[in-house]
Amino acid sequence: MNEGPLAFTLNGKPRRFERVPDAERLLDTLRWRAGLKGTKEGCRTGGCGACTVLVNGEPTLSCLVLSHEVAQEKVTTIEGLSTEKVGRRVIEAFAEAGAVQCGYCTPGFVVALAAQLGSGTPPPSVETLLEGLEGNLCRCTGYCAIRKAVETAREATR
Amino acid sequence: MGLLARSPAGEVAVLGGGTDLLFDLDMARIAPKRVLSLRKLPWRYLRWEAKALVIGSTLPLGALERDEKVRTRLPGLWEAVRDVGGPALRNRATLGGNLGHGSPASDLIPILLALDARARIVGPSGVRELPVDMLLQESRRTTLGPAELIESVILPVSAPSSYLWQRVQPVNDISQVGVATAVVPEGPHWRIALGGVQPRARRLSEAEAMLRSVRPSHFEVELAAQEAARRAEFVTDKRATEAYRRRLVTVLVRRAIQTTLERMPKAWPPRKGAP
Repeated sequence: MNEGPLAFTLNGKPRRFERVPDAERLLDTLRWRAGLKGTKEGCRTGGCGACTVLVNGEPTLSCLVLSHEVAQEKVTTIEGLSTEKVGRRVIEAFAEAGAVQCGYCTPGFVVALAAQLGSGTPPPSVETLLEGLEGNLCRCTGYCAIRKAVETAREATR
Repeated sequence: MGLLARSPAGEVAVLGGGTDLLFDLDMARIAPKRVLSLRKLPWRYLRWEAKALVIGSTLPLGALERDEKVRTRLPGLWEAVRDVGGPALRNRATLGGNLGHGSPASDLIPILLALDARARIVGPSGVRELPVDMLLQESRRTTLGPAELIESVILPVSAPSSYLWQRVQPVNDISQVGVATAVVPEGPHWRIALGGVQPRARRLSEAEAMLRSVRPSHFEVELAAQEAARRAEFVTDKRATEAYRRRLVTVLVRRAIQTTLERMPKAWPPRKGAP
């Protein structure tokens, strides 16, 4: 496999990485080259949602994207969202509801939820928001607290 | 495409949405020298024509799912799309990738077969169009040439349809069996296609033949369900036993036909010349 330079917009800032192998995943570029460890590696096969980031504003599994595919595109991670209003509110809602146990799945949930709440007014129904989270798995909380966080976040961003 | 044409078979892997390919790479099922991503091609479109919907092969499934007209006019396709993974996966997965991969467990191929979908294929010798049925060969093998790519999928839009499936929830997201049905104005009217069967998804013409009109009797529906279970070639694997799949098919075929019937407008098919 070859390698080459890669440039894309990461959390609003232009970034460039040298010698990125063709087969490297966006997930690995984010964690190991950019040092953004908020994005988690769960199953690495597209089944758990822990590695969800925004690519051009849409929730996308970073384990299923080759880094070079996002050349010149916009990637937002949990770190980027945490400096934005909607992202902040979602994070606070998760904290308030105690929707975090081991926390490994949380960034993925926050990114997937913030994308839905940030994408227009009025906010979608709670049921629609939960459908938007159906690709995110949590093995600790049993989802009740997460549901509560979704309701709180929805109210907070109206 | 030049790269594909120049390279020996197996050296270049074509990447649609990566949901299958990257897994196969990790599992070392394939070891290509290069990976060719189709992401930047201008094939991410959805085009409504007079009697057909043309879906660009690299359009993410999420875009299909969010299209209100797809949901109302092609409910079977919409259901099949919704069955694939979660939203963040569907923003990545593509119809072209799913079809090109040709997995027998695909949730999208049965509905494409039931809707008489055609694939538009580009290659070194030009463009050709063929029914999806002729594109599929066996498990994970298609009749695509080594340097050919699926550019789009073309679907007639006037057929009421449905897609039902069963899977081991919440353990696994892959369907044990999937059943697509559709009905067209011209006879023979019904299409029944199965996924989760070996060696590839296929239409069950023997079962279809039991349904002799647009609105078949309960008895005919039952015969079709039984015939589907008798004719399908199932295997026992880690997701289900052969016997269980056979039982499932009877139930799912019956329900899928009924669902399609419920979706049929009262005055259907429209009379010739009517608006």
